[in-house]
Amino acid sequence: MAMPSLRIRGFWRNPLLRKELRQRMRSYRTVLALSLYLIVTGVVAFTFMYVNVQGQTLLLQPTRTAELFTFLSYLQLALISFVTPGIAAGVISGERERQTLPVLLTTPLSPWSVILTKWLTSISFLILLILMTLPLYSIVFLFGGVVPSQVLAVFVLQFITMGAIASVSVFWSTFVQRTGWSTVLSYATVAAIFIGGTVIGYLMDTVAAHAPDQTMWIDLGTAAYTINPIYMQASLETSLGFITPSFSNSLISSVFNTVQVHDLMSQPAWLIYALFHVGGSLLLLVLSAWRLRPGTFHAFQKRIVRWFIR
Amino acid sequence: MIVTENLCKKYNKVEAIKNLNLNVRQGTVFGFVGENGAGKTTTLSILATLTLPTTGRAYIGGVEVTTDAPHVRRLIGYMPDQFGVYDDLTVKEYLAFYGTAYGVASSLIEERTKDLLQMVSLSSKEHFYVNSLSKGMQQRLGLARSLMHDPPVLILDEPASGLDPRSRIEMREIIKGLRERGKTILISSHILPELADMCDEIGIIAHGTLVACAGVEVVNARVQGQKQLFIEVLAKGNRLADHLMTRHDVTDILVADERHVEFLFSGSEEAQVDLFRDLSVHEFAIKSFREVGSSLEELFMRLTEEEHVSSLSS
Repeated sequence: MAMPSLRIRGFWRNPLLRKELRQRMRSYRTVLALSLYLIVTGVVAFTFMYVNVQGQTLLLQPTRTAELFTFLSYLQLALISFVTPGIAAGVISGERERQTLPVLLTTPLSPWSVILTKWLTSISFLILLILMTLPLYSIVFLFGGVVPSQVLAVFVLQFITMGAIASVSVFWSTFVQRTGWSTVLSYATVAAIFIGGTVIGYLMDTVAAHAPDQTMWIDLGTAAYTINPIYMQASLETSLGFITPSFSNSLISSVFNTVQVHDLMSQPAWLIYALFHVGGSLLLLVLSAWRLRPGTFHAFQKRIVRWFIR
Repeated sequence: MIVTENLCKKYNKVEAIKNLNLNVRQGTVFGFVGENGAGKTTTLSILATLTLPTTGRAYIGGVEVTTDAPHVRRLIGYMPDQFGVYDDLTVKEYLAFYGTAYGVASSLIEERTKDLLQMVSLSSKEHFYVNSLSKGMQQRLGLARSLMHDPPVLILDEPASGLDPRSRIEMREIIKGLRERGKTILISSHILPELADMCDEIGIIAHGTLVACAGVEVVNARVQGQKQLFIEVLAKGNRLADHLMTRHDVTDILVADERHVEFLFSGSEEAQVDLFRDLSVHEFAIKSFREVGSSLEELFMRLTEEEHVSSLSS
């Protein structure tokens, strides 16, 4: 049996990984997407600063830079949730539509390696996007109020979220024939977690306010908020001290209140978030690998059917 | 080298293949002929480990296709009927990618790429982007791609489909060259005369069933042994058909009405002269008489038609 280190080294030598990265970086769309992303983030960041200090950079206080950081990190979260399905939802269905998938599947590359490579190349582009915005974050460091380790903590949370969205998109791309449908389903799933989770949490809070047994409804609300990246990012930024009751933005303040009420800064909440997103990603990637090769998926189906009949 | 045993494939209630038994000997070219939807692509897809059979078994080089698919993938070079190419990759990079994917040593990839590009006459296109090549060139590149790991078995699904006559001839010559190199080739097509030219054996599939399977010489002899004759009469065509059926050298009446009779005749040239004499003795008013060209294509049409009729009646 091959040593794990050798397997990892072998994975990096994976021809599909090199081909995907080469193809992606050669495309003019990549340059366009990178430029647009940087322009949008840059314009928003500088506008925010200008509005807050009216051109007098000396007026920028550390508390305001913390707000700028929170604003930038939420902007980044929004862009991640929009861009990731757009990139990852066509990785397998696109191969199917271009009629390159059958040939790829007759090579000795394992389905797991194909899925993992596709997932990795999708998120590698997004990681590049995020790393490109680091100079903007350095402006925040310049004015004080935020230290690099805190930025790193937020980035780790966003990488987990990005990985989960990419897994959902790869999953739909493998199970659905057309990229159009796969993209729609990926966005729908992301919306269900982000918006659906917020709505469900809010409904549970409303019901809890009038119900005799409040605990159950509050717990259900907490569960909906716990898997929601918007609230968990707020939880992280609250624990880092960026979001305080005096936060100027009313929307973020209301998120802060929810974080406090549901105690989302607690260890179990983080554990649930990590388990849900990392575990869910892994499960979706395994299911995608199963689906990719008909043999493994059908054998699994047969086994399940046999188990039920028994 | 390629064996299938009672291979069946069902898609819901539709039977794409029914008890298919094939045996392709090592170093031979086997032509797999059938109409669209006859089950050719499904069979090749099972052999290429892309589809699972419902029942039955298939072996490549003695290795079971469903139970040891990774091993089978190293033994075969597969070219589907329709395949795409990756954008933004040059011809050389495209072949190198598949070579690496098949585990070909990096020191060998360069040399093999050169050899294969020379074989498929694409040496001058080495640095071109694959999506800039013509359809014929892409087909030839696809064939080169399937040979990157030097597999003993080639599974080619309609490799000449959509090509112009010149490209078809070039493709045929390449396949003949591969046969000389000792490759076992299973090739599907509906262009029968081309298959007859390059195959050692031919199998005809209709509605998922193998209706005929024989050496190409046997199939040709079977066709050449019979002549398809056409007689135009002024009247009494049906009576002429009845009379013809009494002769032992008339094997089948294909068309018969009051003015025309078309039939299969298995006799010699002397017997044919005797037939004319016989018809004039019986005073049939023959207006014209001609031999309809018989070919592998007609045999195929007849066999698949028979199968179609039997499947409809059952």
